[in-house]
Amino acid sequence: MTPSVVEVMRGCAVALTQPPSPDAGPEYFASRVGMISMLANLAAQEAEHAAAAAVAENADIRALFAQAAAYDGALGGRLARAAQGVDADLTLTALDAANARLRRLLIELHTRVEDAGDTALDRAILALYVRMAEGRRLQLGG
Amino acid sequence: MTGSLAERLGAYLARAWGEPVQVEKLARISGGASRETYRFDAVLASGRRPLILRRDPPGSLIETDRRSEFLALKSFHGAGVAAPEPLILELEGAELERPFFIMARIDGGATASPFQPDAYAPNAAKLGGDFFATLGRIAAADPASLPIAEACEAPPLDGCWRRELDYWSGVIEADELHPQPIVRAAIRRLYRNPPPPAQKISVVHGDYRSGNFLHDGEGRVLAILDWEMAHLGDPLEDLGWAMDPLWRHNETHRVAGMLPKAEAIAVWERASGLKVDPAAFAWWELFASVKGQAIWTSSAKEYRDGGYQEPILGFSGWLTARRHDEILAAKLAELAP
Repeated sequence: MTPSVVEVMRGCAVALTQPPSPDAGPEYFASRVGMISMLANLAAQEAEHAAAAAVAENADIRALFAQAAAYDGALGGRLARAAQGVDADLTLTALDAANARLRRLLIELHTRVEDAGDTALDRAILALYVRMAEGRRLQLGG
Repeated sequence: MTGSLAERLGAYLARAWGEPVQVEKLARISGGASRETYRFDAVLASGRRPLILRRDPPGSLIETDRRSEFLALKSFHGAGVAAPEPLILELEGAELERPFFIMARIDGGATASPFQPDAYAPNAAKLGGDFFATLGRIAAADPASLPIAEACEAPPLDGCWRRELDYWSGVIEADELHPQPIVRAAIRRLYRNPPPPAQKISVVHGDYRSGNFLHDGEGRVLAILDWEMAHLGDPLEDLGWAMDPLWRHNETHRVAGMLPKAEAIAVWERASGLKVDPAAFAWWELFASVKGQAIWTSSAKEYRDGGYQEPILGFSGWLTARRHDEILAAKLAELAP
């Protein structure tokens, strides 16, 4: 995901080491520090949940691919191969890379499903989107 | 260039106004993500003027045209819309090295974060009436007679939607770093189900929402801010953006944290003399969330490209992007065939 929790934590460190501009008033400085604080708080949430969310989303997408066998031929057998994948490397970098591959294939599949007027699978994909978005939720003050 | 920003700004103003100018109390403030914003006082022989400087940053959240922003303010200041008075536009940068403009400062007003619950209590309904009536008056204006027409081309009535959708889907195409199936499904849906032609061409503020205006705490709008994305187009574009769930302060019973949706539409219709066609508006509501996601996609890219130095870009590219994915997924599920 972009930005990743690693990037955000790095960003908080970078922002905190920036010398304040001579023209930055106290209001701007307070707003900037408040924003860094919010980012750090969100990063704490993400650090706790990011790996589990990515594993769950990847599994959910693979399960949907397993239901979409009718489209596998048009997609060169990639659906079936992806459906059998597993997340063996549980680093966030590896999980995100696998997630990006799965999401790209999901975009291709959904476009074909829409073109085919396949309302049943379309609804299944839209329901998957709701779960994906909920699974990545961040809460202010959470 | 030598000298502090205040000294250089004072030198510029002295040259522009032909008299000595002392710049005092210069301080950067938060104000829009596409311009550096500073408050300052210009002290002249005739007295003290409270002013705002909006300067292009080295890199910005979105590409915007400071000339169209300046001309949009010029179009509406003193014309029934609370727009700050624009004073000077400097496209070459001169002593300040980057393009900028200066406008009058309106002191004493409050802003609210769209994430703050019940931000406008106890005058939310009254303020909502003023907020949506102001938007209606912007929609009612004839852009051909306004200064903004010098900088912005009017699209054909049946071409407003495509111009905006092409632009913002292009932003996602160019700036996306991680694949986004949800917003891409929304984009396909919008192309497949275009709205009817616009009723008229209006000035579109481009970022008219909770959080982008000053109010007096008693239910009155003091100033509409951040005209940096102003353009000409379908007036329903601004209404859809203003009512997007992201700007609802986490409420479901009111839009923009101020009024129930039906009341807000009724206020807007009375002020604009226009009608909200439900089918057309549904298109612009979905579009609003796509546009939001495009802006956050650019934020995330700029956050990375800029070496993670601007926390606001990280916040926009992260929390608001996730929130808009939720909003878009819910809307798409509701619209499912």
